[in-house]
Amino acid sequence: MAFTLKILSRTMLLRVGAFAFGALTFGSIAMAQSTPVPPRGMGATMDIGDQPGREAPADDEVSIDPAYRRQPVYFRTTEAPGTIIISTNDRFLYLVEGNNRALRYGIGVGRDGFTWQGLVKVERKAEWPDWTPPAEMIQRQPYLPRFMAGGPGNPMGARALYLGGTVYRIHGTNQPETIGYAVSSGCFRLVNSEIIDLYSRVPVGAKVIVRQAVTL
Amino acid sequence: MKTFLALVAGAAVALAAHGASAQTLKTVKDRGTLNCGVSRGLPGFSAPDAKGVWTGFDVDYCRAIAAAVFDDPSKVTFFPLSADERFPALQKGQIDVLSRNSTWTVEREAGLGLLFSAITYYDGQGFLVPTKRNIVSALELDGSKVCVQSGTTAMGYTQDFFTANTMKLELVTVPNTDELVKAYEDGRCNTLTTDVSQLYALRLVMKKPSDHIVVPDVISKEPLGPVVRQGDDQWFNIVKWTHYAMLNAEELGVTTANLAEGLKSQKPDVKRLLGQEGAYGEQLGLTKDFAARIVKAVGNYGEVYERNVGTGSRLAIPRGINQLWSLGGIQYAPPFR
Repeated sequence: MAFTLKILSRTMLLRVGAFAFGALTFGSIAMAQSTPVPPRGMGATMDIGDQPGREAPADDEVSIDPAYRRQPVYFRTTEAPGTIIISTNDRFLYLVEGNNRALRYGIGVGRDGFTWQGLVKVERKAEWPDWTPPAEMIQRQPYLPRFMAGGPGNPMGARALYLGGTVYRIHGTNQPETIGYAVSSGCFRLVNSEIIDLYSRVPVGAKVIVRQAVTL
Repeated sequence: MKTFLALVAGAAVALAAHGASAQTLKTVKDRGTLNCGVSRGLPGFSAPDAKGVWTGFDVDYCRAIAAAVFDDPSKVTFFPLSADERFPALQKGQIDVLSRNSTWTVEREAGLGLLFSAITYYDGQGFLVPTKRNIVSALELDGSKVCVQSGTTAMGYTQDFFTANTMKLELVTVPNTDELVKAYEDGRCNTLTTDVSQLYALRLVMKKPSDHIVVPDVISKEPLGPVVRQGDDQWFNIVKWTHYAMLNAEELGVTTANLAEGLKSQKPDVKRLLGQEGAYGEQLGLTKDFAARIVKAVGNYGEVYERNVGTGSRLAIPRGINQLWSLGGIQYAPPFR
């Protein structure tokens, strides 16, 4: 499987990293007491590598912040129903439903997800996809396997939507706790239960629009 | 005679208030602190924390104005006000600005001599239902038993909405918000209705918040924003452009974290916003860099939203209609040029 990393936009990553400063509100303070992870939210990052072989919990939705769970939301757009709009800055994927609404899914965005914006189409779909980490990833994380068959411990997760003409994909994960964050590798990840849901709603040929934060 | 005296006294008060209000900026500067009216405690919008420090979405607007005037967001005196007290406090000049989840209506501008500066938060009546009902649109609520607080406008709106869409409605009225949650959790109704921001706050106190979902439809208009007195255009503009500075900052990608980088930006839009080009701040009566001061103090609009009521808070209210116009919402600010 062709999977090459594009040169990372350094400015973009720096900016994203800087976004992660703590949010001082009653909300995050209260949450910090119950969970040791940093607050999610606008532009949060998490420094975590892939963990091949680690199985995602069966009920992986429980580990997501309610804000990042699939939910219908108000969404005004001129794009046709069925279009996917990915907003990397706020870590959401919208499936346009028309009539000013969309289904919103929380995502984790890997570094590959920050390098490109524009319009593509879903070229191929796969259940429990295999994974062949590219050389660049092996270099960064030497412990990664050279090939891994699809399954519960696979970082690609339960489903993948391959975006035509690019190395990008929307996939599941075996690390549900990374939803809502920028993570160190991969493209756009959803928890398995939600990528399964999205997979069932999106046909091959669907339009996918990727939006990045504006640059200064 | 009594009436006449009262009239004279009333006119004198009105004149005094008007005289003072025409120079609000000067008054604020001379006093050294902004007098800002807020609620008496509404999680996410304005509430004192454990140390007595006021925080929230509405509070951040007080702090943003203070930052614009003094370059110091702590120079605010907060006036917690009840619903009855809020407008008289502004009319009498006790406060310089009211930032207290107040709905912009024609009555309040035409009848009370006030001006709403901008819509900082689009609220409106919505519905909360058990997730397992699998409802994604308010048009699927036919036959619902709806809990509503008695004596609120929500009762009428609910009836109108169900009638207009030929849906059957069973209304269950309760006296207050505590009862609202109790009635819903006891199963006396299968739908709960009030303003969307409050639905999220009520969901927090439920036994298992994730078992309930707020339907995205909004059936009434509750535009909220900071209020000033009529008769002081300069002050009105300052409050208005404080909000627009925050929205433009978000649209241009200027955040608390990258402000230093933003000040060196070569993009004309960013330079104008942050005062590196033009003198709009000075023309407003402030300093060139007033927008930079605001961002430094509270962040851009998105940061203020997410921190107080969005993904960074326990309320976790989706941006929805309050998203930027370019990203699926209707928040739209005139440009800095």
